[in-house]
This record gives sequence, C-alpha cells and structure tokens, in this order.
Amino acid sequence: MLRYELKKILAGKGNRIALFLLVVFWGVSCYCAVTDIDVNFTDGQGKSGYGYFAAQKLREAQKAWMGPLTEETVAAVIEKNARIIATPEYNADDAARSNIAYGWMQDYRDIRNIINCAFCEFRTYDYYRINSLTPADAADFYPNRLAALKTWLDTEAKDLYSDEEKAFFIDHYENMKTPLYYTWKQGWESLLEHAAMPQMFLVLTLSFVAAGLFAGEFSNRADAVFFTACHGRGKAIKAKIGAGVLFVTGAYWIVWGAYSLFVLGTLGADGASCMIQTGLGGWKSFYNISYGQLYLLASFGGYAGALFFLFLTMLVSAWSRSATVAVTVPFVLIFLPSVLDNLGSDWMSKLTGLLPDQLFQMDLAVRYFNLYCVGGRLMGALPILFTVYTALALLCLPVCYRVFRRAGIGR
Amino acid sequence: MELRLEHVTKRFLDLTAVSDVSTVLDNGVYGLLGVNGAGKTTLMRMLCTLIRPTAGRILWEGEDIFEMNMRYRKLLGYLPQDFGFYPDFCAQDYLMYIASIKGLRPAVAKARVEELLHRVGLYQVRQKKMKKFSGGMKRRVGIAQAVLNDPKLLILDEPTSGLDPKERIRFRNLIGELSQDRIVLLSTHIVSDVANVAKGIFLMKDGKICHEGSMEKILREAPVKVWCCRVSGKEADACLNRYQVANFKTDDQGCELRILSEEKPTADAIEETPTLEDVFLYYFGEKAGNEDAAL
Ligand SMILES: Nc1ncnc2c1ncn2[C@@H]1O[C@H](COP(=O)(O)OP(=O)(O)OP(=O)(O)O)[C@@H](O)[C@H]1O
Ligand SMILES: [Mg+2]
Repeated sequence: MLRYELKKILAGKGNRIALFLLVVFWGVSCYCAVTDIDVNFTDGQGKSGYGYFAAQKLREAQKAWMGPLTEETVAAVIEKNARIIATPEYNADDAARSNIAYGWMQDYRDIRNIINCAFCEFRTYDYYRINSLTPADAADFYPNRLAALKTWLDTEAKDLYSDEEKAFFIDHYENMKTPLYYTWKQGWESLLEHAAMPQMFLVLTLSFVAAGLFAGEFSNRADAVFFTACHGRGKAIKAKIGAGVLFVTGAYWIVWGAYSLFVLGTLGADGASCMIQTGLGGWKSFYNISYGQLYLLASFGGYAGALFFLFLTMLVSAWSRSATVAVTVPFVLIFLPSVLDNLGSDWMSKLTGLLPDQLFQMDLAVRYFNLYCVGGRLMGALPILFTVYTALALLCLPVCYRVFRRAGIGR
Repeated sequence: MELRLEHVTKRFLDLTAVSDVSTVLDNGVYGLLGVNGAGKTTLMRMLCTLIRPTAGRILWEGEDIFEMNMRYRKLLGYLPQDFGFYPDFCAQDYLMYIASIKGLRPAVAKARVEELLHRVGLYQVRQKKMKKFSGGMKRRVGIAQAVLNDPKLLILDEPTSGLDPKERIRFRNLIGELSQDRIVLLSTHIVSDVANVAKGIFLMKDGKICHEGSMEKILREAPVKVWCCRVSGKEADACLNRYQVANFKTDDQGCELRILSEEKPTADAIEETPTLEDVFLYYFGEKAGNEDAAL
C-alpha cells in the first residue's frame, strides 16, 4: 500500500516538475552560499575571486590568527590595522590600489568585525571603528560586550524589558567563556546564513506535492473507488499519511544533507566548535552556542518547519479538497512575516519572532532580543519554536486522518 | 446473500433524490433503469456507503451496512459513473494499488491483477499510462478494479456509457460471466444493456422505484399495446403528435412506425409484443426518447 502510494506521488507529472524545481533551487542555494560576499579573496594585485579557491587562500591567510582570541591577539590586530591604514595604498584614491590594501586586511577581517562590534554602541555598527583604536584598548574588548548591553538596557531599552528579563540577558552574557577560540569557520557561516534558501524552497516546491496528496483523490474523481475499498476509510489513509511523512522526511534530509555537504566541502568544515560570538552576526547573541550546535538547530529547526508546513498543507488539502487552497497556506505563512515586520513595532517583533518561518532562520533567530515567559520561566524564542511547531506538525496527522476519513459520509 | 433496502430516502436540501425505496436483492443481475436525474447514482452511492441515507436502512444479511463498515466494503465492488483514476499510473500499477487498499495480499493481488488484465483484454498495454487510454479501455480498467476482490455485491453505475456497440457486447458477456454467485446491480438508461441478462429490473422515476420485477412481469403489467404500421410522410407527422412513437423508419414508400397506444392507431396496424424498450418509453414518456435508447 505504502509502496504504491509513494509510487503514485513519484509518477505524478506535477510532482515530477516540483522535484525538478527542487533540484534547480538546491543548485541555486549552493551557488549563493559559496559565492557569499564574505568568501571573496583579494590577491596581491587587488583582484577579487570567490568560491573554492578563494576560500582556500583566505583560510591560509587567516591561519595566522587562529587560536584563543586573547587581549594580545586583539591588540595585535589593532596594531596591524593601524600600520595598514597609514600606507599610501590604503589612502590612495584609485580603487585598484586601495584594493591592494584591502587585500592585506583580509586575514584579520573576521576579528576586525567583532572588534568593531565590541567598540560600538549596542545597536550600531561602524566598519571603521577599528581605525580609531589603539592596542591599549584591547583590554576593553570582552568587558565592552557586557558594558554595551548594560548601557543599552539602562537607556534605549529601559522600558522594553522587566528587571528579570534584563537580568536574564546579563546572566547569559556573563556566561560566555572568554577568551573565545577563533578559527576558520566560513563554511559554517555561509551555510547557516543561506540556510533559509534551500529549506524554504523545499517547503514551497513540496507544498505542491503535499497539496495533491489528498486533494488529488477528489480532483481525479478517484475518491469513490478509494472510499469504497475495504481499507479506504482506515489503513489506506494511514498509508497516504505515511507516504507523506516519508516523502517529506526523505526529501528534506537529502536536500539539506546535499546542501551541507556541498557548502562545507567547498568552503571547509572546520570551526564547528567555534562559538557563534566570534562572528559578526553572533557577537551579541545571548545564546552561548557553537557553530556546530547552531547547525544542529538549523537542521532540526528546518526539519520541524518542513514537517509543520507540509503537514499543515496536507491537512488543508484533506479538508478543503482543493490543492489550490492548500498550496497557498505555506506561501502565505512564509511571506506574511516579512509584511508584518515592515510594520516594525517592538510588539510585532515579539510576535514575528514566534512565527514558523523562524525555524528556517535559526541564524537570525539567535540574534533577536525577544524573551517569553512560559510557566514562570524566561526563555528565548528557540525552545518555544521547537516544541510548539513540532507538536503542531504531529497534531496535524491524526486530524488529517479524521478529516479525510469522514469525507462524504457526513453525519 | 441478501441486500435489503428499507424505506431508503435521500434528500439534498429541498430536493428528494431518492424517495422511500424498499426492496430485496439476492443472487443475480439486476438492472436499474431510469432517465437522467432519476436518482440512480444517488441510490447506488448510498449502497456503497459513500453517502448516508436521510432516512431508512440498508441491510446486508440483516446487518446495517454502515455499522458493518470494513466488513461490508470487503464484499463490495463499485464502478462509479464518473470513474476516476490516477492519470499518471499505468493500468497494472493502478490495479495493484487498488488491490492493496482492498486488502488483497501482495502475492494474491499480483496473480489476480494479471488474470483480470487478460480478461478485460488490456494485458498488452498494462504498462501504459492510463491517461493515454481510450474511454472504452478506461471503463474496462474500471470494471477490473471493481471485481478485484471478487465481490459478493457488485455495483456498476452506467458501466456502458461511452462504449461503442462492439465494446458493449463484450461488456455484456463479461457481466454474464461475472454474475455467478453474487449480486450485480447495474444502472443504465440504455434498455438493451439489461434486457437479456437481468433477473430483475427496477424502473426508477423521480427518486421512486415505480415498477420492479422480472422482465416478463414488467412486460405483462404494462398496460400498453405496440402497433406496427406503414403510413405516408404526412400521416407520420400526425402520428408523432398523437402517439408515443418507439421507432421510426423512413423509406421511398413512406414511413414505418412503431406506436405505443391503447387503441389501434390505423386500420392496417399490426399488434406486436412489447419489448422492454417499449415499456421504458411508455413509462418515461418523451424524456426517454433519445437516440441512445435506439441502440
Ligand atoms: N450531492 C448532491 N447535492 C445536491 N443534489 C444532488 C446531489 N447529487 C445528486 N443530486 C440531485 O439528485 C438528483 C438525482 O441525481 P442522480 O445523479 O442520482 O441521477 P441519475 O439517475 O444517476 O442520473 P444520470 O442518469 O444522469 O446519471 C438530481 O436531480 C441531482 O441534481
Ligand atoms: Mg447517474
């Protein structure tokens, strides 16, 4: 039963087109991830390149700074930067020459980013901040992270959070172990930054498959034969759901796995144990996790998201008996948040932080300063996202079964 | 084997599609005859548990079919009027799939599917996608799926619609073969489909079974006489206006008419024995006078 149900999915022309598109989108996602702006390498002549070879060279260049990111390292970076900005190349007006100076800076580019973060105010970022620092400032590098947070909480964000919430942030900041360990981690960074792409494309293309799963019986007018078969109101529906689960699961892990392998294979898989605070995006995060852990979050978050969106699509398809109606569900749910975000209030941000599309954007989700109180305990959005949407996804299945089983008979 | 209908009624909003139908079926082939919209499909969908009667009960061996649930569906084979399938499946996969949801064990299913593909003459094209099949081939797959589980109750809703005369004869023979040791109920508005094979006939009109019984009984009870006469073209027009005309043949010498009437229509008219077709026309009047009925 299950076997033929799967075969039915794979035989469908529309489904084959969807799968073909999925492969295309997978390729696009991989391309985008490995040609990320952060992977460019500028050679001695000031020419830039992207991709595998750029990554190799960049990694070679950055090797010098690998290891614990101590005050001494920070001081050395500041000092090197000061030397470069004094050169005639750096101050040259023509782009080709200044590009050469840029090339000298790229080995400490990552560290420069977080130094800029550390010495700016909490919600600002100034790319040239490092230029006005002296090696002596290095001592403030780690203390500044906490200080900036505290200042922000006392001023701008004064009325945004309760005292417990403020304490929660400060506590998590203090829990970060210093010094951070710095190593080449571009593979993980690019992979995570572009993770939403393969995951959302997967959901959008597979939603056509999921929408047809139940609605197809009606649109093909095959429902009469289906429901009059011995198992038509029982096991056969379970087989359908089973086929849906297997299909989504298989497709997700294949696409996600292939994407991960491709990106890590191209840019390098080292740096899994490096903390996300060593990156520009992660410096301010209050989640003290490594890139490897963030990857796991993104993997399972994406899986939970795919299950949620596609099971919901299946449910709507069983209920509405229309694939068209069902297919709009994931599209709306994925694009709605960006509309809401544009309304841009703090209250709205707290809400959009819990919408299911966040599961595909773990990279961003770990940066939001939204706290929620559940059962008297404060927590970030992640635990809520995971439990709520996994539960909802699983809940969709029995509901789906009941809805489809009752089709026609009425009461 | 016994299928009993007790006051079965189905109402859709303000329309009563099936109204107070009571009857009993046992072994054999039954024909359900009625014009479009008579309620044949609605009645059959209830017999297949696809919709629930608004009132009344349907019993199999004394047990309510909706309560029997799976046990009843195990005995059931159904070919819907608008038989739908999965266009990208080939005939073999389609039948294997239906066999699986009908609860046939894989080994049994394989042999059974092969046998039926031979039987309906589709073995050669078993790997072809069903969307490429002709209407007749699709119907044949439909019949094959209906009998996959060797049903005790086989319900066929207009199984011959859209078939050419050759296919129709082939189908009639197939029904003959299949009719042993089971109840076959088939609906049609084409009289000749059932005229010779049916053990019992139901004439359905406006949701009601207005006449039922063996063919002889129905023919006997119909208060109609059939006359055959030759008339000129002018007279023919007059006859068409005055009488129900079952058949109409024109040639050089004039027209030959087959007229349903209590009285003798013309002096030289010859009385003939009524056929089921005549009776059908008599009961259902103008509505039935479509060209299909002549086939
Ligand atoms: N789901 C429904 N909702 C409302 N009315 C319906 C529904 N199904 C059937 N009907 C109505 O019930 C009546 C009987 O329809 P049914 O399909 O049973 O007739 P039929 O004898 O099968 O006709 P045909 O020879 O055209 O197949 C029709 O008037 C039809 O419009
Ligand atoms: Mg009908």
